[in-house]
Formats: sequence, C-alpha cells, structure tokens
Amino acid sequence: MNPTSLPPALHFTPPAAANRVEPGRPVIGVRGLDFFYGPAQVLFGIELQVREREILALIGPSGCGKSTFLRCLNRMNDTIPGAHARGLVEIDGHNIYAPHTNVIGLRRKVGMIFQRSNPFPFSIAENVAYGLKINGLAKNRSERMARIESSLRAAGLWDEVKDRLNKPALSLSGGQQQRLCIARALAIEPEILLMDEPASALDPITTTRIEELALELKTRYTIVIVTHNLQQAARISDRTSFFLMGRVVETDSTQRMFTNPSRKETEDYITGRFG
Amino acid sequence: MKFRHLIAVLASVVALALLAIVVFLAVYSWPAIRMNGAGFLRRNTWNLGNLYSDPILRHGREVMPGASYGILFLIAGTLLSTLIAVILAIPVGVGAAIFLAEAVPAGMRSWISFFVEMLAAIPSVVFGLWGYVVVIPFLGHHLYPWMAHHLKFIPFFAGHSGSGYGLLTAGLVLCLMIVPLITATLRDALVTQLATQRDASLALGASRFETLWSVLLPGARRVLIGSSILATGRALGETMAVLMISGNALNYLPRNIYSPISTMASFIVSQLDSALQDPTGIAVRSLAEVALVLCVISVVVNGAARLLIYYHGRWSARMA
Ligand SMILES: Nc1ncnc2c1ncn2[C@@H]1O[C@H](COP(=O)(O)OP(=O)(O)OP(=O)(O)O)[C@@H](O)[C@H]1O
Ligand SMILES: [Mg+2]
Repeated sequence: MNPTSLPPALHFTPPAAANRVEPGRPVIGVRGLDFFYGPAQVLFGIELQVREREILALIGPSGCGKSTFLRCLNRMNDTIPGAHARGLVEIDGHNIYAPHTNVIGLRRKVGMIFQRSNPFPFSIAENVAYGLKINGLAKNRSERMARIESSLRAAGLWDEVKDRLNKPALSLSGGQQQRLCIARALAIEPEILLMDEPASALDPITTTRIEELALELKTRYTIVIVTHNLQQAARISDRTSFFLMGRVVETDSTQRMFTNPSRKETEDYITGRFG
Repeated sequence: MKFRHLIAVLASVVALALLAIVVFLAVYSWPAIRMNGAGFLRRNTWNLGNLYSDPILRHGREVMPGASYGILFLIAGTLLSTLIAVILAIPVGVGAAIFLAEAVPAGMRSWISFFVEMLAAIPSVVFGLWGYVVVIPFLGHHLYPWMAHHLKFIPFFAGHSGSGYGLLTAGLVLCLMIVPLITATLRDALVTQLATQRDASLALGASRFETLWSVLLPGARRVLIGSSILATGRALGETMAVLMISGNALNYLPRNIYSPISTMASFIVSQLDSALQDPTGIAVRSLAEVALVLCVISVVVNGAARLLIYYHGRWSARMA
C-alpha cells in the first residue's frame, strides 16, 4: 500500500528514539485462547505475544473482543457469571488459567486502567494507598507516604495534588482522576499495565498527557493498550494487533502495520474503508 | 412560566403545607399547652377527669375535675420502640442488601428483590394483624419466657415476660416493616453505582470481601444513613400495627423490654373517641398537643440525622 493513500493524520511518525526499545523477552504468551460468555463465543483461537517493555496496541471495530481479551490477561472476566476461557495464557512462563493459580497475586502483577476513571470515594492519598493496604505493602507511615509520592510522580500528578492529598479524589478533573487511577495501579508495582481506552473519555490535551505518560511508563512497564484512536496507536505503540470479530487478523510492528499491512482487512480498517 | 418557576412553586407549596400543619396543631392545641405546661412532657398521667360532674375553672379555663395530662410514657414508648426497630433493622437490612448484591445471581436477584419490596408495600394493618395472630402467641408463650430466664444478665431482659404484647414485639414488627426500605435502596447503590469501583478494587488484587468492606460499603454510607432516616420516620409515625401489638399501656413507663407500651401515633387513634366525650374540649386539644410533639420529634430526629450526615461528610473529607 502506498503511504500517500493514508489520510494525512495517519502518516506514521516514529516515536522519539529514546523510547524505542529493542524487542525484549516475551512476558505474555497467548496460545489458542477461546473465550465464552455463557454459550456465546467471543474470542477464537487468539495467538499473541507481548514483549517486555513494549507498548502493544489493540485496535479493531467495536465489539470485536478487545476488552474481553484484555480482561483475560488479569482474569477480571472471572467475575462475570458463566464466562469461561479455554486455551493458554502464560505470564512470565506460568499459565494463569491453571488450577490453583493465585489470582490475587496475578492481579497485583498485572495492573489495569479502565476506560472510565473509577477512583474510590476516598481522599487522593487513600486512593493510592488502597492497593498497598489490601496487599499488606508499605506498612509504616513514612514508607507509605514515600510510595504514594513516587506513584503520583510516575503518573505525572504529584505537582498538581501534593497540597491537597487529603481532598476527595472525586474533586479532581476527569484527566486528573484517570492519572490518579494510573498512580493507584502503579503503587503496588505491577510489571504489566493493561489499559482499556484510557483516554477515550478525555479531551485532546488530556489525552496527549496520558499518551506521554504511557511512553514514560514504558521504560519500566510492559503495556497493552486498547484504543479506538488509530493516531494514538501510531503515536505510542511499538507493535499493533488488529482484532476482527474475535480473531487476531495480524500483529506487527506499528510502523509496518500502518504503512504496509499484510492483510486486506487491516488495510481497509486503518484507511477507514471498513464498515 | 418557566419550568424552573413551576418547580419552585411546587416546592414551596410542599414546604408551606408542612408549615401549615404545624401551625394549625400549635394554634389548635394552644389552650391545652397553656393548661398542661411543661409537666405535659414529664408526667405519666393521662386522665380526662370526672366526666359526670360539672366543669371547674382552672387558669381561667373550664376543665373537668381531676383532669390531668402528661405523656412521658408515650414519648418513652415511641422512642424506645423506634430505637429497637432501627437498631435491629440496620444490620438486617445491610446484610440482606449485601446478600442480594453479592451472593445472589443476577437473574434470581430481581425475583428476591421483588419480594423484599413487596414487604414494604404491605399495608401496616396487615403487619398488625399478623403480629396479633401469629407473632404474639409465639413470643409470649415461648421466646419471651425463655429470654427472661436465660438472658436475665442483660439489663432490662429480666423480669416478668408478659403475654407478648409490648415494647420488644412492637420493635420487632416495626423492624420488619422498615428493613425493606433500607435493603432496597442500599442494594441499588451496591449493584449499580459502584460496579466500576468494584472492578477497580478487584483489579488491585482485593478479594470480594475486602472490596465489599473497604470500598463498596463506605461508598454506600450516605445511602445507608439516608434510608435509615426515612426508616426512622416511618417507625416513629407508625400507627395501626403498633396499636394492635403494643399492649396499649396507660400512664406507666416500661419496666423491661417485654412491658406493654403505647406510642404517640397509636395513642391518638385509640383515645380520640373517649377524648371527644370531654365537653370542655381540652382532651381533644391535648391529643393535638401529642400530635404536635410527635411532629417536633420527627423533625428534630430528621434534622439531627441530616446534620450528622453533613458534619460526617465534612469530617471524613478532612480525615480521609
Ligand atoms: N458481560 C458480557 N456478557 C455477555 N456478552 C458480553 C459481555 N461483555 C461483552 N460481551 C460481548 O462480547 C463481545 C466482545 O465485547 P468486548 O467488550 O470485548 O468488545 P470491544 O472490542 O472491547 O468493543 P468496544 O470497542 O466497543 O469496547 C461483544 O459482542 C459483546 O456484546
Ligand atoms: Mg471495549
């Protein structure tokens, strides 16, 4: 495909060199994953690898199973009655669907950021401290305060909230709330961050802020991000995976995917010719 | 007229109606208030006097000889039965809401919830009749004697266990009437508003119990307090059911939790007939004074609870 046929906004601009990482070892390996809501199958034989400290973007039309797939990676789907998965999902070499898997430990390792920011109705500090309390981490006060500060700094929120840590989290703006949720997830020091359209409810400037944040976080975390915004995928991700009707059509480096997709469906989707 | 103005008018009509009722009660019972004085709230006497003799003059007003009005026992009966009802209803209501929200599959939840809400729709006289026919014989013959014997180390649990009519029975039946109010509102709050927070908590590695205890219940605190206020209001004003099961005590305070009591609302109903026999009219005006006191108590309890929410909100925002 000729790049000039892309809409102008989709011209691929490679991320800053500092943020490019050599492909690391695979930390998530998915093989033959089927997923069912009751009798309805929504994921079919998913094959996918996520490498250490890369950003993998999941794109695809609405309802194709991106969120479902993401929630398979920390077993959040367990909470849905009748839902079940079949196949292999390995994180750090362990099959997370094996019996006797420590789901709580898994969720500590695999943090999740939701589409709608969902802070607890507590203070800002308590929101960040919640995961610490639950997991019995940073028990003494100074340790806890240090962890709260470092998480808020990593989420780029510290300077805005350091004088009002005891104010209710719900008094923050939408973008601040979302960054607070990121800080809350970072506090328990996960290895992997799952983000489900983290910026879709936010304005463009705040979105840019979240994207910059994702690029910063990449130096320490492996990130899987679902996005409907193809420019966003192009701007921040190393590799992109295109989902269609519960199947992975192709996974490739973002640059190649947006300039020279190997599959017709992918090309149709990213050029907007897709229904 | 703009919609906003229409709403303002409607709202003020409601407020005025409340004010009008209180003013009416105050004006109508004014002669009784003058005659009864502060003793009205402190004495245990409700005595119409000798209705067969001629009225005498007291403080420039005609009254029947021997007439005396004091309703301490009514205030005690009302507040104690409501207190018992609310203290029992909060844990039961919260427990039922948690059960419905957490333990019951979504499909069955709407059915069970339907029955819980139907409980709130049953007319109170039906509760009264059921209490009269079913609950009282059981309590009076089996449970209360057992409690009086085995739980006598608890203050007010010892002593004569009575026949089943009384304070605890009233509290229990009132409790049953107000539990659905608490359960229905709290369950909705737990199921809907907090779904996203539940996800957030689980994704941080919390168990379901930790999520419920540390996130969902604190988040629903306001809803709980709000529905408890409504429930308290209903218990304070409940008339028919209490009338049928309270034992209709006259002029004495309950000695233990089995003692017969009367509440202000049910007393007004039960005494209206005889009060109308008083040719001086003071008896009916004294009943109006009872109603006024009930109104004031309801407003004070409501206001206090609201202040509690307000300060609690500010306090927890600061402490959090
Ligand atoms: N809790 C559920 N119960 C039953 N079916 C569900 C449930 N959640 C999602 N589905 C169905 O599974 C399919 C995949 O949904 P999913 O939310 O994963 O899509 P998505 O790619 O994230 O879509 P979007 O881009 O709109 O967020 C859809 O057909 C959806 O209707
Ligand atoms: Mg989705």
